[in-house]
Amino acid sequence: MNCKKAGVLISASVDGELTLIEEQEFLLHLSECKECSVEFDEAKKTKMIIREKIIRFKAPQALIMSVMQLTSFSTKEHEDTLLYE
Amino acid sequence: MDKPDPTHHTKTREKKESLSREERQKQLEFQHEAVVHLNALYNYALHLTMNPSDAEDLVQETYLKAYRFFNSFERGTNCKAWLFKILKNNYINRFRKNSKEPGKVDYDLIKDFYHSIKDSRIDTTEADSDYFHSLLHEEVYQALHSLPEEFREVIQLCDIEGFTYEEIANMVESPIGTVRSRLYRGRKLLRQQLEGYAKKYGFNTDNI
Repeated sequence: MNCKKAGVLISASVDGELTLIEEQEFLLHLSECKECSVEFDEAKKTKMIIREKIIRFKAPQALIMSVMQLTSFSTKEHEDTLLYE
Repeated sequence: MDKPDPTHHTKTREKKESLSREERQKQLEFQHEAVVHLNALYNYALHLTMNPSDAEDLVQETYLKAYRFFNSFERGTNCKAWLFKILKNNYINRFRKNSKEPGKVDYDLIKDFYHSIKDSRIDTTEADSDYFHSLLHEEVYQALHSLPEEFREVIQLCDIEGFTYEEIANMVESPIGTVRSRLYRGRKLLRQQLEGYAKKYGFNTDNI
């Protein structure tokens, strides 16, 4: 495996989305190529940054209530109210 | 037997609310399978619309549609992925038609949005001794939103929502190979952005 081929597989490897054979070839390449190893570590870090730094917001209570209501009524009028009010 | 029944009104209401057994089962299953993803859908809608009230509308519409077509949801598959796809389609139909020109990033809008919605949950006590921790939530958010949509989307779906490539490919209607390379290229772009912020603070980014 050359660096170009390994490069495309980097982020898939971070996500655990390589096939077994790809994974083996990729790891073999990493063990021989410092540049790709560094790239691989950076890719892992970037994924971690996104996961840790993007704030998850809580859905507003009013939205929760209205979605819960959707499933406890199912008359036509009710749907229309929700759609067009 | 025919005399007026004082509880008539209440009875009508009860009748309206007492649904068939089948309908009740559908409701229970829907709540168990679909409603549990409400927070994730709301966050996804916020990312797409960058407007809390539009996001609420979008989520509500999504659930309405999902409930109506719940029978077509393939049992045993990922319901969250199914809901995300419905939400995305709703978004395209409803909002993107008459939105700002594609690819144009309005940083002021992002900043305003972020400030308007963030709460006090941001942890200010974390050690900011390295580049990684020095990055602010807002900066990562801004960096993510500076990416072309096709890249931002897959990163969001993969890193934030934890979907598999197969699920993402289905959602964005592209082959898995495309998802793979978009993630690779998108992350590369994102890292360049983030390193830009780090340099701004004077952190040495040579070794990261």
